Amino acid sequence: MRVLLIARASIRRVMRDRTALFFLLVLPVLVIIIVGATVRGFSTFRVGVVNADQGPAGREIVAALSRAPGIAVTTYTTVHQLTTGVALGELNTGVYVPKGLDAAQRSGAPVHVDVYAEQANSNQQAAATAVASVILERGSIVQAATFATAHGSGTYEANLLRAAQLQRQVPRVGFKVVQAQSKASVLPQGYSYSAPTELVLFVFLSALTAGAAIIETRRLSMYERMRAAPVRARTIIAGETMTYVAIALLQSVTIVLVGAVLFGVSWGNPLAAAALILIWSVVGAGAGMLAGTLFRTPEQASSVGPTVGLAFAMLGGCMWPLAIVSSTMRTVGHLVPQAWAVDAWTSLLARHGTILTISPQLGMLCAFAALFLVLATSRLRRLIS
Amino acid sequence: MVCGLLEPDCGVVTIAGRRAEQELAVRNLVGYVPQDVALYPDLTARENLSFLGSLYQLRSKELAARVAEVLELTDLTERANDRVDSFSGGMKRCLNIGAGLLHHPKLLVLDEPTVGVDPQSRHAILERVQAFGREGMAVLYTTHYMEEAERVCDRVGIVDHGRLIAESTRKELVERLEERDRIELGASGDLERLARACREIPGVENAATTDTSVQVVASDSRRMLPLLLEAAENAGVTVNTVDVVEPDLEAVFLHLTGTALRD
Repeated sequence: MRVLLIARASIRRVMRDRTALFFLLVLPVLVIIIVGATVRGFSTFRVGVVNADQGPAGREIVAALSRAPGIAVTTYTTVHQLTTGVALGELNTGVYVPKGLDAAQRSGAPVHVDVYAEQANSNQQAAATAVASVILERGSIVQAATFATAHGSGTYEANLLRAAQLQRQVPRVGFKVVQAQSKASVLPQGYSYSAPTELVLFVFLSALTAGAAIIETRRLSMYERMRAAPVRARTIIAGETMTYVAIALLQSVTIVLVGAVLFGVSWGNPLAAAALILIWSVVGAGAGMLAGTLFRTPEQASSVGPTVGLAFAMLGGCMWPLAIVSSTMRTVGHLVPQAWAVDAWTSLLARHGTILTISPQLGMLCAFAALFLVLATSRLRRLIS
Repeated sequence: MVCGLLEPDCGVVTIAGRRAEQELAVRNLVGYVPQDVALYPDLTARENLSFLGSLYQLRSKELAARVAEVLELTDLTERANDRVDSFSGGMKRCLNIGAGLLHHPKLLVLDEPTVGVDPQSRHAILERVQAFGREGMAVLYTTHYMEEAERVCDRVGIVDHGRLIAESTRKELVERLEERDRIELGASGDLERLARACREIPGVENAATTDTSVQVVASDSRRMLPLLLEAAENAGVTVNTVDVVEPDLEAVFLHLTGTALRD
C-alpha cells in the first residue's frame, strides 16, 4: 500500500512538471513525425515536368502523370531547372515534353518524351520507371487512335477519345509490386520505422533524464523523512521502481496510440508487442534508477543522461538500421539493450513475428532489466540507509 | 539512531519502553523534523502533509483531520493548496515542523529547526516547541545556538566530536562552572594570538575565539580583567568591548570543549 503511496506522490510530481511532460510526451511524437516523414521511402515520387508542347497531347501527359497514384507533379519552365532539381535530389525524376509533340502524333511521326534520372540512383531509377509506365500507357492510346485514323474512319480527336474509353473498358493485364518481407532485416519505412525506434530511444532516454528525480528526492532529505516513518527501505525502493515503470509505460502507450491512430502504424502481434513494451519499460526504469544513484546532481543527470541515451540509441539501431553497418559494429551494438529491442520490433513489424519468435530478444531484455534493477536497488538502498 | 536512520555502534534506544531497533512500529511514536526542509516543493502544502501522514497509516478521515489541524497550527490553512515552492523560508520551516506532528508523536526530534530562519519565524518556532513541551510531548532539540537550548530545554546534552560529554539540567551544568565567569572581549586584530596569551594567565580556565571576540572562562573575573587587557595590549590586539557574563551554557560549552561556538 505504501509502495503505491510513494509511487503516486512521485508520479504526481512528474505530471506537474511541464518540461518533463514535454520531453516525455510531446517531443517523442514530434520526432516520430519528423523522422517518419523523412524516411517515407518511395511512396510518393517528386516528379518535375517541363511542358514545351502546350498542345492537347502535352497537357494530357501532364494530367495523366498528375492522376497517377504515388506521383506528385511540379511544373518547371526550363530544362535546366529540371536537370538541376534531379541532380540535387530535389526531384526523383524530371520529364520533358517536347515542342511539337501534338503535331507529330497527329502526323504519325515517331515522338520521344525525355525522362531524366541518374543511373546510379536507385530511387530516381524507380521514379523514372513509374513515370515511363504512365507515359507508355498514354502512348498506347495515341498509337491506337493514329492506327484507327489511318486505317478506318473518323477524326484523330474522335479516335483518341474512343481509344481512351476502350482502354478503360478492356480488361488489362496488371501487375503489382509486393515487398518481400519474409526475411526483412529492417523495419518498414515511414512511421512504421520511426514510431518503434523512437519508442525504444525515448523511453530509455527519458528514464535516464528522470534519474534527476531520485537525486532531487535525496537532496530534499525526503528519503530520510520516509525512513523515519514506519516504512522499510525496500518499500521506498519498490515505490520508486513502480514510478519509473509507470512513467515509461505511459510514454510507451502514448507513442503506440499516437502511432496507431494518427499515422496508421501497425504494431504487430498485440501480445508480443505488449510484452515487449512492458519489458522495455522495466529496462528503462532500471536504467533511470541507476542513473539516479550514479549521478550526483540533477544537472548531471539532465545533461549526461541524454548523451548516454543517444549514444546507446545510435549503437542499438534506433537512428539507422543495424543491417547497414559492419558486422563488428552490429556485434558492438548488441552490447546495449536498444539493439535487442529494435530487433524484436523488426521481427514483429517486418516479419509478422509472435511472442515465440521474439522470445530470444525478450530474454536478453529481461537480463538487461534484471542487471539494471539489481545495481540500481542495491545502490539506492545504500544511499538511503 | 532514535529515528531509525542510523545503526547504533552499541547500546539500545528505548522509546516509551519499546526497543526502537526491534520494532518498526516504534517509529509511529517519533516525529522527525530534518534540518533541511524535507518537503516536495512542487506539491502543495496539503498534498505534502497528506502524503507524509499516509506513511504513518493514517486513514482518510483521520488523515484529513490531522492535515487540517497541522495547517491550522502552522497558520497555513489559507495557503493549503499552494505549492510549497511559493512559500517563504519561514513558512516552509513551519510546515516542515508541522509534517513531523501529523501522527501525534510522543517524541519529536528537531534537527536545528531554526537554521537560516528570520528572527520573527525563529521566535514563533521556539514558542511552538515550548508549547509542545507544556502539552507533554518529549522534544529532542539539536542546536548550535546556546540561547535556544537555554530557552527551550529542560535537560541539555553537550556533544563534542560525536561524543556526549555532559548531560544534565541547565542548572546542574552551570553549577559545574562553580565560581567561574565567562568574559567576552570584543576585539580586532590577531585574536588567536590573544587567546593563546590569555590561556597562559594563571586562573584562566579556557580561551577561544569567535569571529569578533575572544571568550575566556576564568574565576575571579574582577582580578582577571586588568591581566586580560594587558595581554591584549602585548598581543597588539585592540579591545573594543568587555562583557563579564553570568555563567551560562555558552560558558559551560567553552569550559567543557575548549572551543567557542561561532555564530
